[in-house]
Amino acid sequence: MRLVRGLGIGALALGLVAPFVGSPSRTQQRGLDLDSIARAIDEGSDHVSARQLAEWIRDRRPGLRIIDVRSPDEFHDDAIPTAENLPIDQLVRSRFAPDQTIVLYSQEGAHAGQAWVMLRSLGVTQAVFVPGGLADWREEVLSPLLPANGPPAERARIVELSHYFGGSPRIGGEQEGEVAGAAQTGQRSRRRGC
Amino acid sequence: MNDLLIAGGIGIAFGWALECAGLGDPPKLAGQFYLRDFTVLKVMLSAMLTAMLGVFWGGRLGMLDPGALYVPETYLLPQLVGGLVFGLGFVLSGLCPGTSCVALASGRVEGAATMLGLFAGVLLVGLAFPRIEPFYRSTPHGPLTLQRLTGLPYGVVVALVTVVAVSTLAWIAKREAAQ
Amino acid sequence: MRPLRSYAEPHATGVCLGLVLLACFALTGQGLGASGAFASVASGVIAAVSPETAVHSAYFRSYLQDGSPWTAWLVVEIMGVLVGAAASAVLAGRTRLTFVRAVRPSGGRLFAGLAGGMLMGVGAALARGCTSGLALSGGALLSAGAWIFMVALFLAGFLAAPLVRRLWP
Repeated sequence: MRLVRGLGIGALALGLVAPFVGSPSRTQQRGLDLDSIARAIDEGSDHVSARQLAEWIRDRRPGLRIIDVRSPDEFHDDAIPTAENLPIDQLVRSRFAPDQTIVLYSQEGAHAGQAWVMLRSLGVTQAVFVPGGLADWREEVLSPLLPANGPPAERARIVELSHYFGGSPRIGGEQEGEVAGAAQTGQRSRRRGC
Repeated sequence: MNDLLIAGGIGIAFGWALECAGLGDPPKLAGQFYLRDFTVLKVMLSAMLTAMLGVFWGGRLGMLDPGALYVPETYLLPQLVGGLVFGLGFVLSGLCPGTSCVALASGRVEGAATMLGLFAGVLLVGLAFPRIEPFYRSTPHGPLTLQRLTGLPYGVVVALVTVVAVSTLAWIAKREAAQ
Repeated sequence: MRPLRSYAEPHATGVCLGLVLLACFALTGQGLGASGAFASVASGVIAAVSPETAVHSAYFRSYLQDGSPWTAWLVVEIMGVLVGAAASAVLAGRTRLTFVRAVRPSGGRLFAGLAGGMLMGVGAALARGCTSGLALSGGALLSAGAWIFMVALFLAGFLAAPLVRRLWP
């Protein structure tokens, strides 16, 4: 009878401590929840624009975690500020807290989109990706094209954001500086950041 | 081959444990439904608690990945009806599929009768399958777990199940002590 | 005329059973099972007797698609159960056949066993598992379907019990 009581107390102790030790599984659920993926893609809650991301970084959005899924070499070369490097094979072995907002990006966006699906299959639903990747970041944040006759407030906002990250906007599609020139010829300079 | 060795080993341990607990004894199993003998509940709840806590803590300590384990898929109606039919059969034969083998192995003829019936039962379903397939596949919910259903964290569900199971066992112990 | 040796303490045995289940999870990623072995053997028999019927039913097909149904994991596991239970019963002196006074079950009881087995076969096939495969293994992983099955099982058992009281004096 003492053995049984001991077993019962042991089970109660292990069970009652369980809520306070966090989730035991890296993967919170198995399989792809295709409906919710389709819904997220449909309503666009699967991605975030480079400019929106820039605002999040500037505003120090709580729980923001930016992940560069490219190789360490590429990451070393140039990356979005405050990002961490987690190549795809390491990504699936990492843990993500539920209160984090995970932003994935790659060079052009395709790998980030694939990484997004992989995270979804692991039950990580709080992830988004940057569709245009680092290329978009350069084009929209670092050297954005200012609308020639847009509202001044909008222009000021873009300029301010660009300057925050050490970039310089281009005006009205006209060439301005070497960055814009490089962008026009389709060869984006690699070493540009803040 | 290695896989089958594991299967055999696990099976031997499984059969051993069932036999030791007395679950190869039809009157004992049926006694559960007349509240005469609580062995079935005691063994089942203890085993489930052990495995549930083991999976949770094993996962927490990094010894296994609970997310990689196969969670049986939920099909609401087929499982509800299946459970009702199964319960009826359970009280009629006083055995379940696993324990019928144990009963036979410990020399009870009822075990063989139940095994034969089980065989006929699955055969029947297999033969009639084209007709019952729509029902078989109805109300699918995928690998639905209680934590996903309730939206509670895994640990909280584990704690709730533990409290319910341990209090049930404590209630049984108290009831038996009183008699 | 030795009396039947008494069984082990149920809670402690339950914990041992849970550890076996846990080892099964850790080694194979899946739980225990029993009814699947019957389905596998039934599929094997049907495929041997009438391959056409087997192909016609998606249920049999599902058990025939990966390898021989005779050496499926669950079938080997159930063989192990037979061996383990027999060994345990012999070592503990609980083998019924060794006792002269062993009550031979009545014809009615055998028929009830057969009918009960058949119902359980149908139920387990519909629910995709039995007490070991679905209720115990799935229950430990907190599968919603496993808990529904378990509740339905006990509900039907308790409701039907008074009707068949004659079987269990």
